[in-house]
Amino acid sequence: MLQPILQTHGLTKKYKEFTALNNVSLTLRQGDIYGLVGRNGAGKTTFFKCVMGLAKPTGGTVAIDGKTSNLNAARRRMGFMINPSFFPYLDPRENLKYACHVKGIQTRGEVERLLKLVGLSDVKKPFKSFSMGMKQRLGIAGALLGSPPVVVLDEPINGLDPQGIADIRAVIKSAQEQTGATLIVSSHILSELDLVATRFGFIEQGVLLKEITHKDLHDHTKKSLIIEVNDAQKAAAVLQAGVGAAGTVTSDGRLILESHLNEPHQIARALINGGIELYDLHRQETTLEEYFMRLIGGGQDA
Amino acid sequence: MLKYIHGEIYRLLHKKSMYIYFSVLALGYFFLTLVRSSGLSTGAIVNDALNLFMILSVLTGGFLFSAVYTDDLNAKNLIMLVGFGMSKVKIVLSKFILMTLSSAVVWVLIPLYICFVHAVMGRPASAEIITTLYTSAMPHFLKIVAFAAVSGFVVYGSQRPTFSMVAFLLLILGVVSNLLTTAANLEFVNSIAPNFIDHLMSGIAPRILAGVMVGGSSWLLPLLEYVIYTAAALVLSMLAFLKKEMEF
Repeated sequence: MLQPILQTHGLTKKYKEFTALNNVSLTLRQGDIYGLVGRNGAGKTTFFKCVMGLAKPTGGTVAIDGKTSNLNAARRRMGFMINPSFFPYLDPRENLKYACHVKGIQTRGEVERLLKLVGLSDVKKPFKSFSMGMKQRLGIAGALLGSPPVVVLDEPINGLDPQGIADIRAVIKSAQEQTGATLIVSSHILSELDLVATRFGFIEQGVLLKEITHKDLHDHTKKSLIIEVNDAQKAAAVLQAGVGAAGTVTSDGRLILESHLNEPHQIARALINGGIELYDLHRQETTLEEYFMRLIGGGQDA
Repeated sequence: MLKYIHGEIYRLLHKKSMYIYFSVLALGYFFLTLVRSSGLSTGAIVNDALNLFMILSVLTGGFLFSAVYTDDLNAKNLIMLVGFGMSKVKIVLSKFILMTLSSAVVWVLIPLYICFVHAVMGRPASAEIITTLYTSAMPHFLKIVAFAAVSGFVVYGSQRPTFSMVAFLLLILGVVSNLLTTAANLEFVNSIAPNFIDHLMSGIAPRILAGVMVGGSSWLLPLLEYVIYTAAALVLSMLAFLKKEMEF
């Protein structure tokens, strides 16, 4: 197994009464493109803030390269983008050169390489006149400056048009291929992360609900049985007791089974025998978004 | 720390508005002097400059404070620096060094420029006048640097550009000093801390100047007070920054 490059144990962050992060234990291994998925306000940015030392955790530990102390030295080997912001009067080249001076990066042609990578090499106007997409691109270039072994990108596709999203996806892939960097990328759009990430973590209300590999995610999103009954809670209990099938009740009163996909007749019989009124039972392929929403326990937008 | 200061110098040198601002000030002074030229004697250069220094401490100090400190807040650059693993103590110190350097450059150039303008108009300044100009400029430079250090507490404690700028302007315009002077005149304050006003920055800087003019070592004590004053402000800024989480 590859060495963990970033690990958190029981990471917790509270703002007075509000718990923004609750006992998050996450492992990022070398070479991963880790997709941190969660709705707006789920705790993704707070997690990154704690990792990058921008917010003090209330509890738990952060380990970078196995070290839990003197993290500032380890952070110098990381690149990050959280709410991309640069000096408004400097153009992209000057902003990156400034960052190079500060970070002590002397690699010749580094700024030009990154501007070309993010498609800003011909842009001469100052940062204040940038569109949202251009800001995001420059933010990513800033995070990749000096080819850091670990890169943190918070919502890199936020506010981008479909072409911009595709471009950023290509940039992330190419950065990983060119430098072998380990990336942790957050988004509330699972289907987009699905195209680049090798592992996923699902976060909701500050809790890391699940970590899963790309392959396992697709195994989970293959097929399921959708059951419509008069009482979904009771039906779930009946199926658990009768055929050992664990179902999930959705907010709209449906019951979803991920097992017994090839025995719908057994399921129907168990329900009827259990006194449940069965309205509909069909097999359905779950989309990534549906999987995500089911995981976070609601039908609200993701 | 040196890399950071190097980067900051690069940034300031690429700030186009700085060149425009100082060019406008320089041209403004040139034309003002040209208009008043016939009524000015060589000896009047000093009086003219002394009045100008009062205004320039606000105009140059305000601009430099904004360029050095509040630009960082507007650009959320502190987030980049702290996330990069730079120590907050080093950030506070580097900013102070940069503010001192940039103010020193400006306040070395100001008397030189005044002399240059008058020389162009046929009134070359004598060595004595140049010395007087630089000596008179010194308290303004010292005040700018010290007030920037004090305002650093607001910069790092609030991380809000408007609050920070207002704090600096209140100090450099003498509003805080006037309020404290009023307070110092109250009987009970006077009984607790007599000569309290002398130990404010508005009192310390002129005392250093007076000491330099008189000669000897009488400037040492106010200079020591100045160093303590500035160092205390820096320590408070560091503590405020260490305690405060980054504002997004």
